[in-house]
Amino acid sequence: MSSNHYFKHEGPWSDAGDPLMCTDTGDWRTRRPVVDKDKCIFCGLCAIYCPIQVVEMKGDTHFEADLDFCKGCGICAKECPKGAITMISEGEFVS
Amino acid sequence: MNTTTTTQSRIKVITGNAAAAIAAKLARPDVVAAYPITPQTEVIEQISTFHASGEMDCELITVEGENSAMNAVMAASLAGGRVFTASSSWGLVFMYDAVLAVAGARAPVVMVNVNRETPGIIAVSSGQQDMISTRDAGWIFLIAEDCQEVLDLVLQAYRLAEDYDIQLPVMVHYDGFFLSYLSEGVDIPEQETVDQFLSVLKTQPKRTVLHPGEKLGVGSHGILGGYMELRHKHVTAMERSKAKFEEIDQEFADIFGRSYGGQVEEYRTDDADIVLLGSGSMCGTIKAVIDEQREKGERIGLVKIRMYRPFPHQALTAALKGKKAIGVVDRSLAFGFDGGPIYTELKAFETRMDGAKLVSFIDGIANTDITKTNVEKMIQMTRDLADGKDVPEVTWVSYPDANTKGGK
Amino acid sequence: MAEKKQARLTKVLDYLKHDDPFSKGVAFCPGCGLELLLRFIPRVLGNDIVITGTPSCSAPVLLGQNNQSWHTLSYFGTLMTGAAANATGLVRYYRKAGIDNTVVCFNGDGTANDIGFGNLSGAAERNEPFIYICYDNEGYMNTGIQKSGTTPFGATTTTTPYGTVSRGKNLRRMNLGLKMAMNKIPYTATATLSDLDDLAKKLLKAKEAKERGFCFLHVFAPCPTGWGADPADTIEICRQAVKTNYFPLWEAENGRIRMTKTVKKPKPVNTYTKLMKKFNHMTEADHVILQDDVDYEYCLLGGLSVLEAECQLPVSVKDQGETS
Repeated sequence: MSSNHYFKHEGPWSDAGDPLMCTDTGDWRTRRPVVDKDKCIFCGLCAIYCPIQVVEMKGDTHFEADLDFCKGCGICAKECPKGAITMISEGEFVS
Repeated sequence: MNTTTTTQSRIKVITGNAAAAIAAKLARPDVVAAYPITPQTEVIEQISTFHASGEMDCELITVEGENSAMNAVMAASLAGGRVFTASSSWGLVFMYDAVLAVAGARAPVVMVNVNRETPGIIAVSSGQQDMISTRDAGWIFLIAEDCQEVLDLVLQAYRLAEDYDIQLPVMVHYDGFFLSYLSEGVDIPEQETVDQFLSVLKTQPKRTVLHPGEKLGVGSHGILGGYMELRHKHVTAMERSKAKFEEIDQEFADIFGRSYGGQVEEYRTDDADIVLLGSGSMCGTIKAVIDEQREKGERIGLVKIRMYRPFPHQALTAALKGKKAIGVVDRSLAFGFDGGPIYTELKAFETRMDGAKLVSFIDGIANTDITKTNVEKMIQMTRDLADGKDVPEVTWVSYPDANTKGGK
Repeated sequence: MAEKKQARLTKVLDYLKHDDPFSKGVAFCPGCGLELLLRFIPRVLGNDIVITGTPSCSAPVLLGQNNQSWHTLSYFGTLMTGAAANATGLVRYYRKAGIDNTVVCFNGDGTANDIGFGNLSGAAERNEPFIYICYDNEGYMNTGIQKSGTTPFGATTTTTPYGTVSRGKNLRRMNLGLKMAMNKIPYTATATLSDLDDLAKKLLKAKEAKERGFCFLHVFAPCPTGWGADPADTIEICRQAVKTNYFPLWEAENGRIRMTKTVKKPKPVNTYTKLMKKFNHMTEADHVILQDDVDYEYCLLGGLSVLEAECQLPVSVKDQGETS
């Protein structure tokens, strides 16, 4: 048998047993979704429409995107029926 | 072939195609998928009949094309099943992307390919060009000489393909028309004997399979070193298959009483000074001519290639070393080399054969019969080469025009 | 206050009973419709599905890299030419071995409608028991936005560019969903991402129907990168595709078509086309052609649903299963 340096198996099989591969997609973002908690009616539309499913329920008050992975597409802001989410340029957050 | 024990009652007169279908049935595959093509069609007709009568308990997928046949058996094999398919010529070429994928995925698929021509000139006729067109797909290629060997090789193919140390697809080739439709006596083994022969596989570790809910998938991107690792594993598994095939042939002989010699079969080569090298159905005729000429005191032998991929160069050089001249008979073409494909491959090992000279014969393409007269002619030319006479490097035996106009 | 808020919570969340098996950071473009769909399927159907995928935008995520994986599903990364045949091989072996399974054959429109249509058609004829999902982004997006059989009339792609003697794609798009429904398979449906409750219901129906044989879902999934749309508009594009009847939502059990969403007053198709750049160059005359085609297809669909009801599908047609 030859070496199993990269593959555990004889053929091209990949295991999900180890931590999954993950890209730092939060890095791609140029705009950030910012939630106005007072306007949020807790409908969850932002959460269901988020392509990467990173808009999370924060208690029972509002929803918020996980900025580690949010790509800043703006779907949540667009779909919010109350306009509670605003996309703000990342430049605004540079300290 | 050395036959030691044969129960007369088991011998049936059947075609090569029927032998392949019966062998598949005896191997008890889980999934069979195939599409008809001349001259293979009878194989799937027979299997369909076995399936319809309940003799064969398998999932039979009557696909809409060869490409799907290979894709279906690939998936079934990766899921853990024993599989079978059969094709020929254009069918083999139409499934070619999946043929490559099967090999790369290391799926132990077993199939028969009934050799037929593949050039754009429509030729519903015998020839090994389909085998040559797919030779470096990464499959193990075995070639049968007669209907009995078709049956035996399919059974041996399962042992080889599914062996834990090998895990490679195996294609059993036999000449279309000459073997596919030729009826001859075939010893059909008992189911229990075949079960016993294949039972070794059950005692081996389980290969990786695709199972619902398991966090495991097949079809990974091999990136850089990963890709090379997989390719290297493939190459080394191919190399291992040579010795494994010899072992399996021995074990087959112990159980079934028939032995063929593994990668190559040597026929009356021991004291031979000249040898013909061939494969497939032509070998029967060559053996008959050798027997006749041996009566006259000619020291001639035959080396028959049974395993074509991986190329059995060690076995071949061992068998051919020290002979004066070797005539290589090809049923296909290798462009740019003028000589036949097996000839050009063997040529690479010429220096290891202690001065044996090589000569190429192209014959048997497009259903041309490799007759006894043709074989005698090839033997004469090989003898001339051994005697130091001037012999063309390549001869189209049944097409003299090639030798006067374009030939070397 | 809190209770009042909970009451407003979208019912779609109720369908998301299972974990998202995918890694959070995967390389799909921002606003990708495919990503939403891909994460949605196992959350609704469960993580014990076997998913098969082909070279496409989904492949880099579905397939592993060396021994590592982007998700925890069992998957088979395979060839575009044989996608449905691969899934066939899987379900047939599982059936033979008595292994419970839900195999989802997940492909783009290029595989489903074009290069892999032969084996999709074959699997439908043989009524193979798995779910085939086509995510339709109307072109070959992974290779860089080329025309496919479902690219609509007028759309510009890198192989149907707009030019002095070209008005973009000069051919109709093919109606893949309808083609499949005509095979009288147990379940066919169209769906899109603006109507996620509808999509979830259809996925669950397909899971049930696959016990009787082949199921086909045609899911409209916009590609903001390839279509020249604002990533934020992905869901809006889906919504307008439905509201203009550009992509009507229907289902068909054994070929009997039933609209799952009827639009009372369909909007003109340019309320949809104006959301993206791929139709930017189209003249009014071009828009008339597209509008006529949309109207004709919708009319045909309505007509077929009436005809199917009148013709009374024979029970024997429904009862025909796997024959081999």
